[in-house]
Amino acid sequence: MTLTLPDQRLDHWRDRLPDLLSKCSELVVDLDCGDWLLNCSDLKDLSAAVTDAGHQLGRITGRVLETVVSASALGLDASPSRMSSQNDSVPNAVAAGPADLLFHHGTLRSGDHLQSDRSILLYGDVNPGARISSTADVLVWGRLRGVAHAGCEGSTTAKIIALQLRPLQLRIADVVARGPEDLPQVGLAEQAELKDGVIAIEPAVIQSFQKR
Amino acid sequence: MSTTRTILICSGKGGVGKTTTTANLGIALARQGAKTVVLDADFGLRNLDLLLGLENRIVYTAQEVLAETCRLEQALVKHKQEPNLALLPAGNPRMLEWLKPKDMQAIVALLERQFDYVLIDCPAGIEDGFKNAAAAAREAVVITTPEVAAVRDADRVIGLLNTQGVQPVQLVLNRVRPKMMSNQEMLSVDDVTDILALPLLGLVFEDEQVIVSTNRGEPLTLSDSSSPAAQAYGNIAQRLQGEDIPLMDPSQARRGLRARMRQLMQTRIF
Repeated sequence: MTLTLPDQRLDHWRDRLPDLLSKCSELVVDLDCGDWLLNCSDLKDLSAAVTDAGHQLGRITGRVLETVVSASALGLDASPSRMSSQNDSVPNAVAAGPADLLFHHGTLRSGDHLQSDRSILLYGDVNPGARISSTADVLVWGRLRGVAHAGCEGSTTAKIIALQLRPLQLRIADVVARGPEDLPQVGLAEQAELKDGVIAIEPAVIQSFQKR
Repeated sequence: MSTTRTILICSGKGGVGKTTTTANLGIALARQGAKTVVLDADFGLRNLDLLLGLENRIVYTAQEVLAETCRLEQALVKHKQEPNLALLPAGNPRMLEWLKPKDMQAIVALLERQFDYVLIDCPAGIEDGFKNAAAAAREAVVITTPEVAAVRDADRVIGLLNTQGVQPVQLVLNRVRPKMMSNQEMLSVDDVTDILALPLLGLVFEDEQVIVSTNRGEPLTLSDSSSPAAQAYGNIAQRLQGEDIPLMDPSQARRGLRARMRQLMQTRIF
């Protein structure tokens, strides 16, 4: 069983760990450290907490390399994890391709959530009720009718581009906007970006697709 | 290698007509000569036996079959008028917990030995009941109505079915009101297929006869009823068997109905 440490912005792992451990019924516990930077003494505390709760510490994964290196230095079984396509209901994500782009072929249906720490190029639709979020840009070669979040770790230059941009909600960095109510012009790709702290939608321009 | 087709009938949202469709489709398939069994996986709130008029004939369920306290033949309830159709309740309403996906697979494996079609009536929702029912299915028919909530839930269910590898998934659009559709007061057929992106297996028009037949425990397809819903279910069954039957057109159907009504009145009066 894998325990995932809480998101840094929500809770401190030291506060949440006892609770997580008490809910865990299996002996061997794998830990996903998420985006926590943990040094050797943090990891010693962590491993002591796991042992005190009567469990055995198995594998340690994390997105922060320093954490993984520290864990290996302590002799723990550690490996880095990728953030992309965490949701098991989104099986079509292709990790190959440029390191800064996640390509996904297929429609995101209601309840699906595609998430990546890279820009996402989705070949398919985002249906109402589905979510797509990236720390960078979101490009949808199809209809965007769900919720899209670009720059979900604060990047204000992130863009959302879709062949048909009619989302329920758009988010860029920490700005939220409702989607437009009127029907889009047929055959006009649109893009959303932050302008003066507000999300603005306009026809997509070729430069949007070029590397910044 | 069995050629049995095990079809899950599901919707996500409740009240869109899963059980009604299962009952009518089961009868229609049986009438067309296919040995069919309907498996009621919604046994917590089991209704399929009611709709088929078989409530008072249930003695055993699949639960007893798996526990080997009875034989499969004892648990199968044969339909009175339509001997090609059998009903098997998956479990006892008071013992919801016992059923696991592997039990469901075991039941279906037993049924596949002697039937051409296994129709699984799935419970509403996407929790354990759905997962159990879906575990044993090879293909699926998703029922939805032209309502935003029903379409949204169907979309979710289709996503889940895709991850389980259930293939093909087809769509039945139920309770279509041609008049509201032509007045654009209801989602159109295109609106629905646009979002769900599935092949349309059939359209069923809203029909008061469905309520009457449901309460009587005699599915519409059992008689040679000319009601639009009965015909629609018949067509769906034929399409499932691989026949190429054109879909009803809501805008044409309205005229057709009215014309037929007029005809009927004329024949009676003169």
